[in-house]
Amino acid sequence: MSSTLTIFKKELKGFYLNPTFWIICFMVSLVFSWVYPIQLDLFAQLLLNYVMQQGIPQNQLNIHYGVFLRQLSYLNLMLIFVVPALTMKLFAEEKKLRTFDLLLTSPVTSVQIVLGKYFAALGAVAGIVMLALAYPLATATLASLNWGPLMVAFLGIFLVGGVYTAMDLFSSSLTDNSIVAYVTSVILNVSIWFIGIGAEVVDGEKLRKVFEHVSLSSHLSSLVEGTIRSSSLVFFLSIVVLFCFLAERVVESSRWR
Amino acid sequence: MIQVKNLTKHYGPRRAIHNLNFSIEKGDVVGFLGPNGAGKSTTMKIITGFMAPSSGEASVAGYDVFVNPIEVKKHIGYLPETPPVYSDMYVREYLQYVAALKQVPKSKIEKYVDNAIDKTHLGDVQKRLIGHLSKGFKQRVGIAQAIVSDPEILILDEPTVGLDPKQVAEIRDLIKELKGQHTIILSTHILPEVQATCEKIIIIHHGEIVAQDSIHNLAMMDKGKSRLRIRLRKDAENLHSVLSEINQVISVKAGTSAKDWEIDLQGGDEVVDAISSSIVAKGYGLVELSPSKIDLEDVFLKLTYGEQGGEA
Repeated sequence: MSSTLTIFKKELKGFYLNPTFWIICFMVSLVFSWVYPIQLDLFAQLLLNYVMQQGIPQNQLNIHYGVFLRQLSYLNLMLIFVVPALTMKLFAEEKKLRTFDLLLTSPVTSVQIVLGKYFAALGAVAGIVMLALAYPLATATLASLNWGPLMVAFLGIFLVGGVYTAMDLFSSSLTDNSIVAYVTSVILNVSIWFIGIGAEVVDGEKLRKVFEHVSLSSHLSSLVEGTIRSSSLVFFLSIVVLFCFLAERVVESSRWR
Repeated sequence: MIQVKNLTKHYGPRRAIHNLNFSIEKGDVVGFLGPNGAGKSTTMKIITGFMAPSSGEASVAGYDVFVNPIEVKKHIGYLPETPPVYSDMYVREYLQYVAALKQVPKSKIEKYVDNAIDKTHLGDVQKRLIGHLSKGFKQRVGIAQAIVSDPEILILDEPTVGLDPKQVAEIRDLIKELKGQHTIILSTHILPEVQATCEKIIIIHHGEIVAQDSIHNLAMMDKGKSRLRIRLRKDAENLHSVLSEINQVISVKAGTSAKDWEIDLQGGDEVVDAISSSIVAKGYGLVELSPSKIDLEDVFLKLTYGEQGGEA
């Protein structure tokens, strides 16, 4: 366990003391600083005029839907590209620079290596999610917010970030080329959203249910609306465990190949 | 300390090492010698638990490297061909990380790191980024990394490759200093390095051990032996029969022409005297006679590149 902690600390330090991470944070905040006030402004205009406008969906009059969820969807879009940038070096670069030899000849197990690196990357993702959370927090000085759903929604997007991290960690373990790792990661991150599409083309009721259940978006949508379902948590957790397990297998394989 | 039995490793269809058997005692300094691609690194990687053999077994300090790799790794400090250093870490920070990774108790980490820095003379650069150091310093950081957990066994894979002569000398001195405190395995294809540092050598070629003995014995194998180069005025077709009466002559080989000969012999000056007098007596006209020393290099070349003659 202490080895996991050693690797975790080193990698987390590697993220937070690295200019790359702060440049990414800067870019993310640049985008939000542009988009978020505009969303807020549009929402304010909508509230001023809603009496005159007919047929506006009721939920659009709620700041949670009108502003925060939009921000979360932008955050999700950015995470698809940002998480691979954070994780790509975790294994690929170690392999390329041969520092991986050090890990493989140290008294640590593959599980400890993968867990240490996974949680460190998760720590970096948490930093970016916190950065995004700063905008709703700032809004709280202007209006009174319903904190419960907001926090659950951010938890939801953080879990999605965790899923990306696991998948991207796995793709980084497959190669010693960071660029290949990055591209594979982005494709994985994008394609996981398309699994649910299967529900629209299959015939059988049961099969449709299966596709609905493995769809990331159906699980996320309940979370972003502020409902915690244990099935969703189990679903996210199982994807994370699956990909961490695969990454562990890849690391372990270098010992017997 | 280290036992290797019938160790074999295949990379796909290519056979890297085949049926290696050797054992290394505690406190030995062993040179692992062989031309490029002989299987030195592969053997070392298997001993460190870095990868598994195709067949055969290896055990370190009583633990099988395949069954109990974690225990094995606790006893080993390993410097791979490329020092495994992170260029974005500070020297001291890096060594602390490695010490923690090697499960040095928290309270002792500082002491062990200080010790490693002292031994490798890294005091002046300990607060610098590894990425900014020269190759020689990086190599030293690599060695510091291997000794930071004070392991019983040190495995150094070509520790002086790519260094300038002064740095090479420093690394050799360092290895000499480490003698006695650790069991050391050193791989290299540079002979003087082995002569300078090792007590025992294992020569490996095409994945098989061609010789293993103490450096003293290997040199002795040639010590009493010497080689004479002679040059005659006349062609001599059957120098073999001329010299066959002298028992101490081991072999007689023709050189570039029937005038040049190489004679390996066992014994001292009196044998040289006997040889020269019998050549002169036959009237070949001895023009030149010079002793040429056989050293470790000859043994090595003979064993690996199949030079004829001698007790290979």
